[in-house]
Amino acid sequence: MAGFPPPGATILGDDAAEKKIDEVGKKKVDYFNLPCPIPFEELQREAIMSLKPELFEGMRFDFTKGLNPKFSLSHSVFMGPMELPSQGAETLKIPTAHYEFGANFIDPKLMLIGRVLTDGRLTARVKCDLTDDLSLKANAQLSNEPNMSHGMINFDYKGKDYRTQLQLGDGSLFGASYIQSITPHLSLGGEVFWAGQHLKSGVGYAARYENDKMVKLACAMHVPFASLLWVATGQVASTGMIAMSYVQKVSEKVSLATDFMYNYLSRDVTASVGYDYILRQARLRGKLDSNGCASAFLEERLNMGLNFVLSAEIDHKKSDYKFGFGLTVG
Amino acid sequence: MASRVALKVGGKGKNSGKGGRGGEGKSRTECLKEWTDWSLHKAKVIAHYGFIPLIIVIGMNSDPKPQLYQLLSPV
Repeated sequence: MAGFPPPGATILGDDAAEKKIDEVGKKKVDYFNLPCPIPFEELQREAIMSLKPELFEGMRFDFTKGLNPKFSLSHSVFMGPMELPSQGAETLKIPTAHYEFGANFIDPKLMLIGRVLTDGRLTARVKCDLTDDLSLKANAQLSNEPNMSHGMINFDYKGKDYRTQLQLGDGSLFGASYIQSITPHLSLGGEVFWAGQHLKSGVGYAARYENDKMVKLACAMHVPFASLLWVATGQVASTGMIAMSYVQKVSEKVSLATDFMYNYLSRDVTASVGYDYILRQARLRGKLDSNGCASAFLEERLNMGLNFVLSAEIDHKKSDYKFGFGLTVG
Repeated sequence: MASRVALKVGGKGKNSGKGGRGGEGKSRTECLKEWTDWSLHKAKVIAHYGFIPLIIVIGMNSDPKPQLYQLLSPV
């Protein structure tokens, strides 16, 4: 009893705590040395990672064999129902199975990923750092059927506190985006795109705010937080879509996220709330939607290099139930 | 790939403009469009068949060089 400090007193001692608060309060923002923002397309990456895991239905088995620290081959077998687009309220599913062979070459400067299915469809991704600041990304989906192949190439330039991207795609698709850090926590960006084939063009704006409080400041407040991180993003596009997301890292292992999408042209609203538990041996993500969809995704590490995956989704409105399980080796 | 509509109406005008080739059916721009279509198609076929072998060749020649049997065996 004698050894414990009385309630209300700071852990570090009054003088030291005040000095720390003063330091943080007086720290001036150097507007010429702002950090580089994250790329425009990854603006909502925390929300997407927490709320949109790769849900699947059926059985999946992935085997990745590394021949080299840089080069690996992957074999993937999938058996499960495939959804067909249907006009009515009923969802049509047909059972399918496929085998996919893939090769990856991952180097700090060059990344090549290729996947080919049994029906001849190829998915290719290339990422190449041409210089320190300029990088080229290309991805393509090629198939044997005519007019079913698509490709897109991106040029990214990273400046001191801004990023720009130029995008060229097949079907006369042109896009450009720019994102700039305004303060150490806030970045704003915009994009413009033109799709010749579909005769669509659009302009979009986005903002991202992230916050990160250090453990030292938390001690002075007498309530122990882990490093608190929250991210809020907002995006508007002239295709009528407004998207906002908020992710809060409650503790090292738990993250909560929420997402709101509103299409003002078609008056469509979707809101979702989700959680993301990153535990030592497992990662569990769950989501609840305003469309009546509840989903969960579990990845558990059974052993070194052996992962067990469970995916479940219930759509109450359409009465559609999806369950998937799988094993990932390597 | 995107199909391009050939402009037949403007063809004749362009023919006379390009050094008096009114007698021939194709104009320079049509030739160019056909050539780009043909080359894009060939590039697509080459990418389709050659991308994965390209990755394998680059991977097998990187350090440390893996052996050929490692490519086929499941271990």
